[in-house]
Amino acid sequence: MLEAIKNVKVHLLVLALVVGAEFIGILKFDVGPGKLVLLPMLYAVFLGTFLGPKFLKVVNDKDMDNASALVSLTLMLLMARYGTLVGPKFFEILKAGPALILQEFGNIGTLLIGIPIAMFLGLKREAVGAAHSIAREPNVALIGDIYGLDSAEGRGVMGVYICGTVFGTIFFGLAASMLSILNWFHPYALAMASGVGSASMMTATVGSLSAIYPEMADKIQAFGVASNTLSGLDGVYMSMIIALPMSNKLYKILYRIKFGTPQEGK
Amino acid sequence: MNKVTESAIVLLIVGAITLIGNWIGYGFGIMEALPGMAVLVGICILGVLANKYIYNLPTVLYVITFGMIITMPGVPGHEMFAGWVAKVNFLALTTPILAYAGVGIGKDLPALKKTGWRIVVVSLFVMTGTYVASAGIAHVVLKFLGEI
Repeated sequence: MLEAIKNVKVHLLVLALVVGAEFIGILKFDVGPGKLVLLPMLYAVFLGTFLGPKFLKVVNDKDMDNASALVSLTLMLLMARYGTLVGPKFFEILKAGPALILQEFGNIGTLLIGIPIAMFLGLKREAVGAAHSIAREPNVALIGDIYGLDSAEGRGVMGVYICGTVFGTIFFGLAASMLSILNWFHPYALAMASGVGSASMMTATVGSLSAIYPEMADKIQAFGVASNTLSGLDGVYMSMIIALPMSNKLYKILYRIKFGTPQEGK
Repeated sequence: MNKVTESAIVLLIVGAITLIGNWIGYGFGIMEALPGMAVLVGICILGVLANKYIYNLPTVLYVITFGMIITMPGVPGHEMFAGWVAKVNFLALTTPILAYAGVGIGKDLPALKKTGWRIVVVSLFVMTGTYVASAGIAHVVLKFLGEI
């Protein structure tokens, strides 16, 4: 890490990327019931990619290694801020009731569907990173802590994180309206499920639902916000204690079925 | 240099870059956001120390938990801390992370190319799986409680 700290070039490039990205700012486009949201972080990662040896050749292999080595630590500042978003609402969440708490276990549905699909598509360890959770910030930080973000697991979680950031609000806005047409679930249940730990995804869902059921809008919004805050509170614990171990176990079983041998390496 | 000192230096560098982005993108002056950033850096250093000296749990668990505790109602100074960190925009913190990731991504490009479209498909199923399973459970529990 010491070498990475002393690589002033990397820090200056990052500073330039940040200044450029923040200067462009947030761009929003209405798409159907959702919004396509482009955030400065996306410009930063996109422009950063172009500095590499394949394109502009501004950075060399050593610079790239140095930059990657620092990512999981830079995530910690975001996580500290994340904690401070949850803290003020701590007691409201505790009061929110059993339905809210139990629906959090729905996150396990993520890995039960996601891991087999990812492996069917030919992913290996990427599958565990990509499908153990919905890959919001705390999940990315956790995978970074345990495997490192330049590992296969890290690439998986970052990929889903970036897709979720770009398409998440459109997807959730559409999913909420489509599920309300199917009429399988009560609008309150749809509102509670929207809290996956991303304020923008939750807002898109609650927005569509409120437009469809204006007479229930107040309660829909309250459930959405409470559930989202609860995910913020328990998301990282849930991932570490339940979802990640389950994903690894499922991966091991599926690996043996698919390839007929126990998984190599760890 | 030991790991804790190194981590502290990295956090200070990233903190400084974030303060500049926070100023350009979200209009919080650097001096205005400085106390909040100092608190965040402090929490992270405590997290690194806890990971090293208390118990080897992931640093991110300590950091989130510390951030939560200092802003929890009833904890001395919680309003002051919450007010300070509110001056550091959440999104401003995400930009430097993805900038470092972007600079480093070049060496993963061949691997990313191989997995790219698959990850997009997986992420759609991940989002669907989470949403439908959570809605199903919420529906059953609400019905059971007689709320709907």
